[in-house]
Amino acid sequence: MAVTEKKILVRLYIVSACMFLLALAVFVKLVTIQIVDGEGYRTAVKEANIKSVVVPANKGSLYSDDGSLLATSVTRYDVHFDAVTATDKNFDENIKPLCDSLGKLLGKSSAGLQSRLKRARAHKNRYYLIAKNLGYGDYVRLKNFPLFKLGAYKGGIITERKTVREYPLGSIAKRSIGYYRVTRGGEVKPVGLEQACEQYLNGKDGESWKQRIAKNLWKPINSTNEIEPKDGSDVVSTIDINIQDIAHHALLEQLEKYKADHGSVVVMEVATGEIKAIANLGRTSNGKYYERFNYAVGEAHEPGSTFKLMAVTAALEEKVVDTSYMVDTENGVIKYYGKSVRDSHRGGYGVVSLAEAFQFSSNTGIVKTIHESFKDDPKRFTDRLDEMNVAQLLDLSVKGEAEPHMPHPGDKTWSGIAMEWMAFGYGVSLTPLQTLTFYNAIANNGEMVKPRLIKEVREWDKVVYKFDKEVINPKICSQETVNKVKQLLKDVVEKEHGTGHKLYSPDFSMAGKTGTCQKDYAHTDRSKLNYISSFAGFFPAENPKYSCIVVIHEPDKSVGYYGADVSGPVFKKVAQKIYTSSPLIDTVKEISKPANEVIVDYERFFDKANDKSAVNVPNVKGMSGMDAVALLENLGIRVEVNGVGDVASQSIQAGQRITKNLKIVLTLS
Amino acid sequence: MSSTVVKKIDWLSILIYVLLVLFGWVNIYSASVPLDEIEQFNIDSVYGKQLIFIGLSLVIILFVLAIEAKFYERFASVIYIVAMISLAGLFILGKNVNGARAWYGIGSFTIQPSEFAKIATSLAFAKYLSDIQTNIKHWQDQLKALIIIGIPAFLILLQPDPGSTLVYSIFIYVMYREGLPGIYILLALSLAIIFIVTIKFGSVITLVTIALLLTAYYFIFRKSRDRKVKILPLVLFFLMSTTISLGTPLIYKNVFKQHHRDRFRLWLRLEQNPIKLQQLKRDIGYNTYQSETAIGSGGVSGKGFLEGTRTRGNYVPEQHTDYIFSVVGEEWGLFGTTAVVVLFSILILRIIYLAERQKLQFSRIYGYSVAGIITIHFMVNIGMVIGLLPTIGIPLPFFSYGGSGLWGFTILLFIFLKLDANRVNEWM
Repeated sequence: MAVTEKKILVRLYIVSACMFLLALAVFVKLVTIQIVDGEGYRTAVKEANIKSVVVPANKGSLYSDDGSLLATSVTRYDVHFDAVTATDKNFDENIKPLCDSLGKLLGKSSAGLQSRLKRARAHKNRYYLIAKNLGYGDYVRLKNFPLFKLGAYKGGIITERKTVREYPLGSIAKRSIGYYRVTRGGEVKPVGLEQACEQYLNGKDGESWKQRIAKNLWKPINSTNEIEPKDGSDVVSTIDINIQDIAHHALLEQLEKYKADHGSVVVMEVATGEIKAIANLGRTSNGKYYERFNYAVGEAHEPGSTFKLMAVTAALEEKVVDTSYMVDTENGVIKYYGKSVRDSHRGGYGVVSLAEAFQFSSNTGIVKTIHESFKDDPKRFTDRLDEMNVAQLLDLSVKGEAEPHMPHPGDKTWSGIAMEWMAFGYGVSLTPLQTLTFYNAIANNGEMVKPRLIKEVREWDKVVYKFDKEVINPKICSQETVNKVKQLLKDVVEKEHGTGHKLYSPDFSMAGKTGTCQKDYAHTDRSKLNYISSFAGFFPAENPKYSCIVVIHEPDKSVGYYGADVSGPVFKKVAQKIYTSSPLIDTVKEISKPANEVIVDYERFFDKANDKSAVNVPNVKGMSGMDAVALLENLGIRVEVNGVGDVASQSIQAGQRITKNLKIVLTLS
Repeated sequence: MSSTVVKKIDWLSILIYVLLVLFGWVNIYSASVPLDEIEQFNIDSVYGKQLIFIGLSLVIILFVLAIEAKFYERFASVIYIVAMISLAGLFILGKNVNGARAWYGIGSFTIQPSEFAKIATSLAFAKYLSDIQTNIKHWQDQLKALIIIGIPAFLILLQPDPGSTLVYSIFIYVMYREGLPGIYILLALSLAIIFIVTIKFGSVITLVTIALLLTAYYFIFRKSRDRKVKILPLVLFFLMSTTISLGTPLIYKNVFKQHHRDRFRLWLRLEQNPIKLQQLKRDIGYNTYQSETAIGSGGVSGKGFLEGTRTRGNYVPEQHTDYIFSVVGEEWGLFGTTAVVVLFSILILRIIYLAERQKLQFSRIYGYSVAGIITIHFMVNIGMVIGLLPTIGIPLPFFSYGGSGLWGFTILLFIFLKLDANRVNEWM
C-alpha cells in the first residue's frame, strides 16, 4: 500500500466533509422551502386548488292519479366533435365509415357529413356539433361508431350529459302538467303543476369539494363538510289520464268544428275537489290548437247564464221567492234605467214560473225575479253571494289564478243596474274554475271544497305528504235550497223545453246550466260581437260523482254559438265516456288497439317502474332495450347496453339486491 | 447463523435501516391509498405489495447473513459476470417500461437488474482494488478499475437510465479514498464547475475569476516550505479552462437538446423574465414544482398522516417512487424531512466508520462503495425532489416503492454488515 495512515485520514476527512456539506445544503434548502417560502406555498395551495361544487339533486317525477308518468327527468346526450385531436391516419381511415353510420342514425347524407367534418378539421374546429338530445340507446350506438370508439383523445368525441324533463303525454294537458320556459329575464321557470310542485320535485342540491389535479381537471376529495344532495320527491297529481284524454279530444274536436278562439274543460271529483282533467286549448296563427295558457285558472270573464245558478240560489236561500214564483217575461224585453234586458227567444216566454225561467234560461224572467226580490236591499243579495263564497279567490297551488270580480253596493263599479245585470251573469267576472267550484258545491250538497291538483308527495314508495280535501265552506246553503237548485239543473237537461235538452240521454242523467254570453258587447259593429259558450254541471244527476265545466270562447257565429250547441256536446261526451259503463270501455278499446304482448310489456313496465320498493334487480329479459334501461336506471342501477333489440341476457341475475353504484350489462339481440 | 453474528453485527445500522424502511412504507401508504380504502387493507395495492417486498427482505437478510463471509470475496467475479450478462440480456429479453428496457418481466412480476448490478460491481471493484497486485497509482490499474465500473455504467446508459449510470461515478470517490491521485477528481470537478459557471455567467467572468484565483494561489503558497509551487501546471490549467470555457457554448448549443437546455435554464435560473421562469417551472419543472409545493405547504410540523392535500390529490407525479420524499415534507413537515436527512447521514457516517475499522481491504473498499452508493442516491434524489438539482430519476434508498430497489439496497447493506460482523475471524 502506497498510502500512508495520515494521508488516508486526510482523504477520509475530505470525503466526509463533502458529504456533510451536501447534507447541509439539503437541510438549508429544506428550511428555505418549508419555513421561509412555506407561507407562500400554503396560501397558493389553498387558493388555487380547492373549490366547492354544486352536486345537483335529481328531480322527482310527476304521476297521474292512476300512476301513469306525466313528467320525469331523463338523461340526454349532446355530442360534439373535436376535429383536431385525431391523427391524420385515424381521421382519413375512419371518416367515411363514421359518416355512413352517422348519416344512418341522424338521417343525413353521408357525403354532406363528410365534407362538413373535413371542413371542421381544416378550420381546426374543436367543438363541432354532431347531435343534440340523444337518448341513451342512440348515444351508445354513436359512441361505438368508427373513430368515435377510440374515445375522447384519439377519436375526438366530446359528450355532454344533461338531464331534461320529458312529458310522456305530449301535448295533452301540457299546460296543466307544466313545462320549463325561459322568462323575459332569462331565467328558466316552470309553469303549471311543475311549478306548483316545485318545492317537492326539486329536492336539495348538495355540495362537494373538488381539488385541481391539472389544468381544468378537478378531482373530488373526501371532506367532512360535504353535503349529499337530497333528491326531489315524486308527486302524484289528481289528474286521471283517461279522463284527461277524453276531455282533451272532446274539446279539441269542438273547437275545430266551431273554429273557436280558445276553450277549456275542467272535470272535478265532487266529493273531494280533485281535478281529474283540465284541458286548455288555444288557437295559434296556423289554425291549430295547443295548450298554451291555463284559461281555466288564469282567465276571468263574464260568465253569462251559468251565473244564474248563483243568483237563483241566493234568492231561494234568502227565501224571498220559491221555484214556483210566477214571473212575467214581458215579451222578452225589460228596460232598467234605459237599458234593456233581452231574451234570446224573441217575444219572451210569457208568464212562467221561476223554475221554467231557469230552464228556458230566460234573462228577463231571472232578472225580474231578482229585481223584484232585492230592489230595496241589493246588499242582501250581494251579502248572500259573498256568504256562498261566490267570486272569491280559490288560492290554488298553481300560480296565476285570475282575480274574480263582483260589484257590491257602494263600490265604484256599482250602479243602478249592477244587480240586475249580475243576475244573468254580466258585470261579474269569474274564472271557469271558480264557477265550477260553486256548481261542485251544489252537487256536493252544499259543501264547497277547494279544487286540488296534487294528491300526494312520495319518496320512493313512502307517502310523505298527503293532501286531503280542503273545505272552503261546509254548507253554502240549506239542504232544502240545494235540493231545489239540483232539481232545476236536472230539469235544464231533462225537460224538453230546457236549454240543455240536447244533452239528454235516456241512459244517463246529467244536470247543468248552459251559458251563452256576449263578449265585447260595447262594440257598435254587431259583426264584431263575439260569444262565450259555456256549460257547467255535474253527473250523474241523482248522485253526482263528477262536476264539469266547458267554456269555449269566440266560436264562429256562422256555425253556432249557443252554449248548448257549442259547449254542451263536450260536456256530454266527457260525462258519458267517463260514466256510462259499457260504451266507455268499448270506445276506449277501439281508440288504442295495441297488440297483446305490447299491453303485457307496457303493464309490466309500469308495474315495475312504480314499484320502487323493490330492492332486488328485476328480470328484464325479453323486455325491449329502452324499457329495460329506463326501468333499471329508475332503480338507480347503472346500465351498459350491448347490441340492439330486446334484452337477451343481463349480467346481474334477477333477485340480487340492488346496491349503490351497481352496474349491469345488458346484451340485446 | 452463529451467535457471533448476532453479537458482532452492527445493531445501530440495522435500527436505522428498520426505521427508514418502516417510515418509507408509511409514506408509500399515504401516497397510494385511495380515499375510500383507508379502512380496509388491500394487498394488491402499491402499499400492500411494498409490505410483501419488506417481508421478503427479511428472508433475504437472513439468507445474506447466513452465507459464509468469504463467499462474497471469492465469488465476486462470478457474481459480477452474471450481473453483466443479465444487464446485457435486457436488450434481448427486457420489457420496455416508460421507454427504458430496464426490467425483466416474469408474469406480473418485474425485476430490475440494474439495482443488483450495483452490488456486483461493488464486490468486483472491491476485490480488484484489494488484490495485492493492484496499484491504484498505476494508470494501467486505474484503467482496469475504470473498466469494471464502466461496463455496467455503459450498459445501463444504453437502456437508457442516465440516473442509475450517474451512480457509478461514486466509485471514483472510493478510488480516491484508496489512493487515486486527487488531481483526477480535481480536474473532473473543475471541468464540471467551469462548464456550469460558464453557462451561468459567461466565458469572460469565468476566465477572469479563474485567472485571479490561480494568481492568488501562486502568491499565497509560493513561500510555503512543504512544496514548491510551479508555474507551468497553473498555466496549463488555465489553458485547459480557457478551452473548456470557450467550448462550452458550442457544446451547450449543439450537443445538448432543447429539453436539456430548458432544465439548465430552470436550474441555473438563466431565464430573466419572471413570467417565463414561472412557465418554465410549470412545464419543464412540473414535477419539481409540484413536489416543492407539496413540501413547502407542509411547513414546520406538517399536515399530519393522510392529511396532505397535495398527496391526497395526486398532484405530484411518481410520488410513491422517486418523489416519495415530498410526502414526508407535506405530511411530516420540517421535522420529518430533517429526521430523514439525519437518519441517512448517521447511516452513511456509520458505514464509513465501520469501513474504516475493517482490517481487510476488501471489506473496507466494499464498505466505502456501499456508503458512496447510498450517498449519491440520497443526495441526487432529495436534491431533485427539493429542486436543488435538475431532474434525475433515481429512487431514495429504503424509501421508494419497488421490490428490486428495496432488495438491492438491502443486500448491498447487509453483505457489508455480514463482512463487518465477520471482522474478528478475518485471520482464521
